[in-house]
Amino acid sequence: MSAADTAPAEDGPVTMMDYFMQLEYHELLCPVVRRYASQLLEGRLVGHKCPSCGLVYVPPRGYCPICVVETTDADEIVLADKGTVTNYTVVTPVQYYGQEETEPFVRASILLDGEGGMMNLQDIVDVPVDDVHVGMRVEAVWKPPGERNVDEISNRSWGSAEGCIDGWRPTGDPDVPAEQLRDKAF
Amino acid sequence: MLDVAIVGYAQSPSWRNAELTEPQFLFPVISEAIERAGIERRDIGFTCAGSCDYLSGQTFAFVSNLEAVGAWPPISESHVEMDGAWALYEAWVRLQHGDIDLALAFGSGKSSPGRLDEVFSLQLDPYTLTPLGADPVSLAALQARAMLDKGTITERDMAEIAARSRQSAADNPHAQIRSSPDADALLQEPYLTAPLRRHDLPPVSDGACAVVLATADRARATCERPAWIRGIDHRVEPHQPGMRDLTESISTRQAAKHAGVDDAPVDVAELCATFTHQERLLREAMGLDDTVRVNPSGGPLAANPVMAVGLARIAEAARAISEGGAGRAVAHATSGQCLQQNLVCVLEGA
Repeated sequence: MSAADTAPAEDGPVTMMDYFMQLEYHELLCPVVRRYASQLLEGRLVGHKCPSCGLVYVPPRGYCPICVVETTDADEIVLADKGTVTNYTVVTPVQYYGQEETEPFVRASILLDGEGGMMNLQDIVDVPVDDVHVGMRVEAVWKPPGERNVDEISNRSWGSAEGCIDGWRPTGDPDVPAEQLRDKAF
Repeated sequence: MLDVAIVGYAQSPSWRNAELTEPQFLFPVISEAIERAGIERRDIGFTCAGSCDYLSGQTFAFVSNLEAVGAWPPISESHVEMDGAWALYEAWVRLQHGDIDLALAFGSGKSSPGRLDEVFSLQLDPYTLTPLGADPVSLAALQARAMLDKGTITERDMAEIAARSRQSAADNPHAQIRSSPDADALLQEPYLTAPLRRHDLPPVSDGACAVVLATADRARATCERPAWIRGIDHRVEPHQPGMRDLTESISTRQAAKHAGVDDAPVDVAELCATFTHQERLLREAMGLDDTVRVNPSGGPLAANPVMAVGLARIAEAARAISEGGAGRAVAHATSGQCLQQNLVCVLEGA
C-alpha cells in the first residue's frame, strides 16, 4: 500500500479509515511433529505408516483419519528423499501487503519413493517454472547440517520441510507415466 | 417434535497449554463418546462440529478437526463457527427430520496459542469497538460494575461464587482449577480490571467435548438412562453492547421460557457463566431458586475450553441425569460478549 493511499485527506470529511491489525499465535509443537522436526535436522524424513491400511503420513499426525486409529513412534518409518511430482501449481504473486515473492514459483505435491508418503506445497528448484511437469523425478536439496533449522515447522505444516530442505530438483531420471500417479495428488 | 436423548458424552481434560493439536485431542474424546453410547461409528447419520478458526489462527482449521471423526467413507456433516452447544442444536434439528436416528455433536478449541483479548475484540463491530481494543474482560467488568451499581450483586457474592465453583470441581477430572481459598481470602486480592479480580475470570483452557444424540427407540435400546431433551432454544441480542441493559439477560429469559425451564422443578443447572457475576444474572433470568444445584462440575470458572465449554455444560447436565440420579437438569451455553447470545436446554431422565 502506498503512502498516497493512507495519507489523511487534506480537506473535507473523513470517508475512509485504515485499520491494520495483527494476530500472533504461538503453538507448542505436538510430540509427533517435534520428533519429525528433530529427524529433519538429522537429514531424515520420517512419517507414520498406518498399521491398518498402510498409508504413510508425513509429517506424522498421530493417527490415521481413514481408519480412525492412533499411530505412535512404533509406526514410524524413514522415508526416501527422492520422489515424483504428482501435481503442481504455478503461483504468480500478487503484490498484496506482506507478499515477499516477486516472480512466479511452483508448489508441488511429491510422492516419495518406496513406502510412499506425500510431501505437499513443495518448491521445485534448479529448473525453469515452465519445465515442471507431472511425472518429473525429483530429489531433496538438503541444507548443509550446520545451516538447518526448524523455525518454520509447525503443527499446521502439511509436508513442509522448510529450513532443512531448500526444495526439490530434477534427477534427470525418466518420467513416471502420469496415469500411474492418479489419486496421488494432494 | 420427535423425542431425542443424549446417550453418550465425553470430555478431554482442560489444559492451560495443550501440546496436542486440536484433532489429536478430539480423537479420543469422540471415540469415547461413541463407545459410551454403545453404538457403531458408521451408524451416525449426521455430525456437527463447533470451533473457531480465529482461535487457531488458521483458515479452515475446522476441516482438519473432522479427521478425528473418521474421514472415510464420506459422512454427512456440518460446522458452526460457534460453541459446540450450537452444533448440538443443529444435530437436534437434523434428527427432527426423522430419517436418521443417531447424530454426533462436538466442540473444541485451543485458547492458548493466541491472545484472547485481541481475538475476541474482533467479534465486535469493526468501526468503533474493535479498534478501541474492547476485550471480553473489560466488557465483563463494565457489566459487573453495572450490576454492583444496581445493587443486584456484591463483590463478596462474586467471590463466594468463585470459591464455591472451584471447590465443586474437586472431583471433576476434566477441570483445570479444583480448589479455591474462601471468599474472605479472595477479596484480599487486588483488582485485575476493576471491579473484577482474577477469581472472577475463567481460566484459559484448551479442550474438547463430544455428545451423541439418539431418537427415542434407538436411545432406549442403547442407553440405560438416556437424558431426554425436553426443550432447547436459543436467542440473540444486539451486537452492540451499548444497546443492551447489561444487568439482565433478556435472551436467556426468552430461551428459558421457550425451552420450558419453569414447567417443573430443576435439580441441577449447568450454566456457562464465564465470569462470576454472570451466574447471578443467569439464575435470575431463568428463575432458578436456591434449591437448584448450580454448576456441580465447577462450570466455566473451573475449566473454560472455549467452543467446547457450552457443550460441556450440556454433557455435564446429561451426566447428572444418567449417572448422578438427577431428574431434571438445565444446561446453558453462551456466545458473544456479556451474554449476547444464549442457548438453554432442558434435560429429563424420564
